[in-house]
Amino acid sequence: MAGSALRRLMAEYKQLTLNPPEGIIAGPINEENFFEWEALITGPEGTCFEGGVFPAKLVFPSDYPLSPPKMQFTCEMFHPNIYADGRVCISILHAPGDDPMGYESSAERWSPVQSVEKILLSVVSMLAEPNDESGANVDAAKMWREDRAEFNRIAERIVRKTLGLS
Amino acid sequence: MGDETREADARVEAQVNQDVLIMEQQRQIEEEISEAIPLVGAKEDLSATLEKEYISDPIYSMKVKDLSSKYSSIRRTRPDGNCFFRAFAYAFFERLLTNKDEYKSFYDIVSKSKDELIDLGFPQFTLEDFYDTFMEVVERVGSGEMAQEELYELFNNQGQSNYIVVYLRLITSGKLQKDADFYLNFIDGNRTMTAFCHLEVEPMFKESDHIHIIALSAALNVGVRVRYMDRGDSTQVIAHDFPEGTTPAVHLLYRPGHYDILYEL
Repeated sequence: MAGSALRRLMAEYKQLTLNPPEGIIAGPINEENFFEWEALITGPEGTCFEGGVFPAKLVFPSDYPLSPPKMQFTCEMFHPNIYADGRVCISILHAPGDDPMGYESSAERWSPVQSVEKILLSVVSMLAEPNDESGANVDAAKMWREDRAEFNRIAERIVRKTLGLS
Repeated sequence: MGDETREADARVEAQVNQDVLIMEQQRQIEEEISEAIPLVGAKEDLSATLEKEYISDPIYSMKVKDLSSKYSSIRRTRPDGNCFFRAFAYAFFERLLTNKDEYKSFYDIVSKSKDELIDLGFPQFTLEDFYDTFMEVVERVGSGEMAQEELYELFNNQGQSNYIVVYLRLITSGKLQKDADFYLNFIDGNRTMTAFCHLEVEPMFKESDHIHIIALSAALNVGVRVRYMDRGDSTQVIAHDFPEGTTPAVHLLYRPGHYDILYEL
């Protein structure tokens, strides 16, 4: 089982290195263990996260890509779809029937033809457009809805922090 | 924010985490049960094994009697949501080991399937991963050198066995999307065929319904006869052929929630 997972992860790493999507770098933390990756995600332009560089960890199960990886930001984050401890909560990281948030049926789910690249691109979209209906961080979801100016101030502080400017 | 709201919010968050924990535990229990059963089991004498299973159940015992007038053996598969696809693949590949004509027409269909799926919008990069493994197995099946034991071992190797299931799911999804106008008549709710496939067909461990069987058998042009054994009144075990009117190449036994392989007398 882990054999096909390893082969697939190596192929995905190669693909991401040769054709990196804009604003995203990802790869194994060390090449001895392909089941733990680090990703650096640039905050999307024109959003309150613009200019930030956000580090995250991806942990793959031994039956990847049949089951999805887990993803967790390792920097401070304040976002409706990210738990206080950094865990990312979006539909593509869940197989159907395995969604504590009860996502809409049209939301993109995990299936074996998805990839790390698709996940990271979804996370970029999530930074740009939070889904405040499935709040992993209730405070952030509430503030995003009710006090956007304050939300933007917190985001800016976090952006500066990721750049070592705070 | 007042203390009350904060408390309420904390409860909501705790609730969500409880849900995650419960789901994880449920999945673990299901995994433990299903992993006790091999992905594909050995061929067993049908009447001996099923009579024993239903010794204190008069309705099922009657049906086992009917079934054993038509079938000699049964091969069980792991109840992990993939049983239809795995049972279908095993039964059909086993047949192809010795049936050159059917192999050739099957090979022609599946070797074209990758390009068809890419045309439908499947991502080439990840699709190829499954296609390549699937075709390696198919070519081995057609090599004329493969023994029953090798097929059995291969289907009990999780990596290869599951990749075969994934690729059959993709072929099924491709057929459903290609002929969406027709298949949309069979699905509930107000959703697109693509959304249905993303939720019910492509993910592993999602159980199969009639629509999956119709689409896969039509896509591969392989007849499937399913024998339905349930608590209904009939003394007979009713047969359904997919697609209707074809000669079955694969015989499966359906008991609520699960498919196993049948062998004719």
